[in-house]
Amino acid sequence: MAGRSLRLRAILAALWTAARRDLKTVGSFSGNNLFVVSAAFLFLGDPGAFVAFSAFIGLVLFIPLSADPLRVLPRDRLAVWPLSAGELRWLRILSPWLNPVTWLIAALAVWKHVSIGLWALAAGVFAIGFVLPSLPAARKGIWRRLPNFPGPLNHLIRKNLRETLSTLDFWCSAVVSAFCLGFRAAGLLPAEALLPMTIVVMLALSTYAQTLFGLDGDGGMTRYRLLPVPGWQILAAKDVPFLLVSVLMTLPLAPAAGLAAALSALAMGHHASVTHHSDQMRWRFSSGVSFGAGIFQVVVMSAAAAAVHAIPLLVVLCAGLYAWSTWWYGRVMEQQQG
Amino acid sequence: MISCSQLTKRFGAVTAVNALSLDVAKGTICAFLGPNGAGKSTTVKMLSGLLAPTSGQASVCGFDVATHPLEVKRRIGVLPESLGLFDDLTIQEHLLLTAQIYGLDKQQSRERIEQLLRVLGLSEGRNTFAGYGSHGMRKKTAFAMAVLPNPEVLFLDEPFEAIDPATSRIMRNLLVGAAARGITVFLTSHILPVVERIAHQFVMIRGGRIVWNSSAVELPSSLEDLYLELAEPPASEELDWLAAR
Repeated sequence: MAGRSLRLRAILAALWTAARRDLKTVGSFSGNNLFVVSAAFLFLGDPGAFVAFSAFIGLVLFIPLSADPLRVLPRDRLAVWPLSAGELRWLRILSPWLNPVTWLIAALAVWKHVSIGLWALAAGVFAIGFVLPSLPAARKGIWRRLPNFPGPLNHLIRKNLRETLSTLDFWCSAVVSAFCLGFRAAGLLPAEALLPMTIVVMLALSTYAQTLFGLDGDGGMTRYRLLPVPGWQILAAKDVPFLLVSVLMTLPLAPAAGLAAALSALAMGHHASVTHHSDQMRWRFSSGVSFGAGIFQVVVMSAAAAAVHAIPLLVVLCAGLYAWSTWWYGRVMEQQQG
Repeated sequence: MISCSQLTKRFGAVTAVNALSLDVAKGTICAFLGPNGAGKSTTVKMLSGLLAPTSGQASVCGFDVATHPLEVKRRIGVLPESLGLFDDLTIQEHLLLTAQIYGLDKQQSRERIEQLLRVLGLSEGRNTFAGYGSHGMRKKTAFAMAVLPNPEVLFLDEPFEAIDPATSRIMRNLLVGAAARGITVFLTSHILPVVERIAHQFVMIRGGRIVWNSSAVELPSSLEDLYLELAEPPASEELDWLAAR
């Protein structure tokens, strides 16, 4: 009996350590442009904007945060440990309570101010987040089927698109974009809101432009150095999915302004992406390299979007800035060795 | 084909590779041996252009690695220590990417890729994302990427480790055949019986310095004895607690 208790306690302690480390990674949103701007709104005396932006961030974070803590334990490891069926059952029952979201759902269940419908919705989303990472499709990798692109960098672009789709930046922008689409379809989005909402969508996406190589890992970075292609092509292969996603997400709003914002975000983000490599995590928000770099990127990106919204031809200037940045930082990439 | 002179790499106060000079002729399989941390992978990285040396020079296929990196990259195939794979590409997509980047035509790439997948036992797992593949599968993929463009020089960092015996033999035969057709192979390994069978040149390194460099015919009777004497004298300690209860 004592042995059983000790074994369970040891495994739960290890899971708790892993869960705590996982929770720390959630804090990456604090370096995200969307959060930085929402915090700025709070200081500027607009708590409504802060709440709205935070709600989008919270909504997108909810699913990955709901993941089953037991998933971090390799199945084979669990199978070879000398655990009885009863111990495994207890582990299954106790491990979900290592996740703070489980406690939140339980608290909502007993809190009288929450309607059953809202609780059921939250619990349903939690259940999806809990089960999703364990599904065979998720374990084998999603985004298997993606369109092909012309040229020799086809598979590099497809890989980069898969990476972009596995960041919460993309999903946050998708949620904002979907809201805007709904409002626009219902005739509730005035014309003067198109530009600000385009900027909000791009705010959600823009931080990723500072960490373009964050999901490649050491192996990926090694491969880039071995490929016999100029640096600007590697950088361009990173940028194509970002531009595609940006245009797609701003399509219901002001796509030309969205394209200008995307080109400017990339032009400003290349420096950080190439010279300050930082590892990012999947299903988390991208985190910028510095507060100053984020603010600068946001200001240039917003100015470019506003300028192109007023004078569409100015998009050529943004494209020129982007082309120069790609060429320059491509050279920097080529020069980077040990 | 591979030549380096006084090649040195320092990481802060640590000298990983110290004034290394060697030549490897065309069509030679050179086994670069040494214990963990001796400087083998650092040397491979410097020769393949992955790492800039602190001092010294290296040339591959007649091109200086530091001044003509792109020319060198077009002529070499590398199986790096980190394997250099992208988690978000499948095994087949890695090979297609390599074929397209090295400019193989469609017919050629289809034939070579099919053959490599078949020969290396990767056919069934071809649609597995590299991030989800076993270590052996990942290593075979990196090996296939190295040989696919038919390079003039192959740099292979521990190609036989974590590979099943059947594939190991296939890879061995493949390298022997390639060397006979003029391809130069520079490999590191800890599996002495395997390299002893295929290598034409043996270089041993210890503490960043070459302690042995000879052709196969100049080797004393046992490579293992020589290796243990020069590169890695074994330390032995009994685990007395590891006994029947």
